[in-house]
Amino acid sequence: MVHSGPMPNPPRRRPVDRMPESAFQLLVEGVVDYAIFMLDPDGHVASWNSGAERIKGYRADDILGRHFSTFYPPEDIAAGKPDRELEIAIAEGRLEDEGWRLRKDGSRFWANVVITALFDATGDLRGFGKVTRDMTERRRAEQALLERRRLVHHLVEAQELERRRIAWDVHDDSIQSMVAVGMRLQLLADRVPEEHVATVTRLDQAVRSAVERLRMLVFRLRPPEIDRNGLVAALEEYLGDVAPMWDLAHAVRDELEREPPVDTAITIFRICQEALTNVHKHARATAVEITLSTVDRGTLVVIADDGIGISLTRDHQAGLEHFGMIEMRERAETAGGWWTLGIRPEGGTAVRFWLPTTSDTA
Amino acid sequence: MTRVLICDDDIMIGEALHDVLTAESDLAVVAIAHTASDAIDLAERHLPDIVVLDVRMPGGGGIRVARELRDRCPTTRVVAFSAYADPATVAEMRRAGVTEYLVKGVPNTDIVATVRRLARGPFGKL
Ligand SMILES: Nc1ncnc2c1ncn2[C@@H]1O[C@H](COP(=O)(O)OP(=O)(O)O)[C@@H](O)[C@H]1O
Ligand SMILES: [Mg+2]
Repeated sequence: MVHSGPMPNPPRRRPVDRMPESAFQLLVEGVVDYAIFMLDPDGHVASWNSGAERIKGYRADDILGRHFSTFYPPEDIAAGKPDRELEIAIAEGRLEDEGWRLRKDGSRFWANVVITALFDATGDLRGFGKVTRDMTERRRAEQALLERRRLVHHLVEAQELERRRIAWDVHDDSIQSMVAVGMRLQLLADRVPEEHVATVTRLDQAVRSAVERLRMLVFRLRPPEIDRNGLVAALEEYLGDVAPMWDLAHAVRDELEREPPVDTAITIFRICQEALTNVHKHARATAVEITLSTVDRGTLVVIADDGIGISLTRDHQAGLEHFGMIEMRERAETAGGWWTLGIRPEGGTAVRFWLPTTSDTA
Repeated sequence: MTRVLICDDDIMIGEALHDVLTAESDLAVVAIAHTASDAIDLAERHLPDIVVLDVRMPGGGGIRVARELRDRCPTTRVVAFSAYADPATVAEMRRAGVTEYLVKGVPNTDIVATVRRLARGPFGKL
């Protein structure tokens, strides 16, 4: 750091009496979160503290004088790991390792270990300082997170596959059959007695609008083309298709600092689709805007409309019977994020949700 | 009399198309094909004036049929009849020489009118 101008006065420090060595020893002995102990130059345990007793399960009497390889699982001993770690500590001054260690009762814990070689003023090796932390919980949490990512990945994949199947079924089967029915109804309308023509014509119209709705369903079930140009482009394309049909002015605001990974992007796309369907069906809005931004190592998405706003009845709050809301919330929460629906102060409704970045590079 | 070949893998659609077209006194259906290969064979055998062609069919699909027909039956004109209306598919059919495109679900009268228009020839002669 470069200082310019006069140096500030150094803060005044109260002169302290140097703590006696015994006090420092009390500190080390009292620490319970870390096993802190010494090894002699050959690797025998030469001191012990409360943390070591708590983490490893040995009392000082049990362990003093024993070789520290006692703490290693058999496969590490067979591989010569304890001695190798001491050699590295001597050569490099220090060694850090993470791995399984054994407690006195034989159970394993995941340990972070730092071994420091201690030399005296003449350069002779006096022994080693060893600090061990029990990382089992953290490792478990990390593994749970990884497992969750894997599950979410499979879930998103399975959902997309299922959607594709449903889309093909509806497209190849339901729509075709109904189109054929419609064609026959029109033929029939020319042949039935006059008094039935109106009925048959109405039937034909009903079939035709059902076909339209099924087409829209197939369109919505299509996989988003995120691979090609990214999430924002996929959303713009989708809005470009539906917004004109729905008489909606639309905009996508891209404030992303980085593209979310594909799983997350698909989930975002699907939630946006559902929210947009609601804007169309319920909001009576003239405009909708989607904003995407990178927040808290995740992606924040806001879908805001200028419609009539939403009044949450008890049913809504209980989440009964309204699958759109349930689906959006479940998708977000399954991916480890959150989802909310609220009224905008300037009028209209805003769906807001956040998904963590689930890529392994995060 | 305008002679029409129908190609659609969906049997109900094929039959409905048959009934819609044969209800017109100036239109005759020469055959109904349910696969792309059948369509090509039947077209070569009957040399129809018009083929009403589904775009998505097993065995190569309508695009293949349109291309083959352009070479093998140059006098035959093709109407695409498809549930697909996406721009890429339309463009693909255009490149295969198909100029008329009907989306499944249009009124029967549109189907009939399109077949008649195409049968009159590309230059609108009567
Ligand atoms: N953008 C919106 N504007 C106004 N009302 C909305 C909006 N989104 C949702 N709603 C209300 O919330 C209800 C629940 O939505 P949803 O769970 O998707 O079920 P559904 O769309 O099937 O009714 C809707 O019926 C509607 O009353
Ligand atoms: Mg809904």
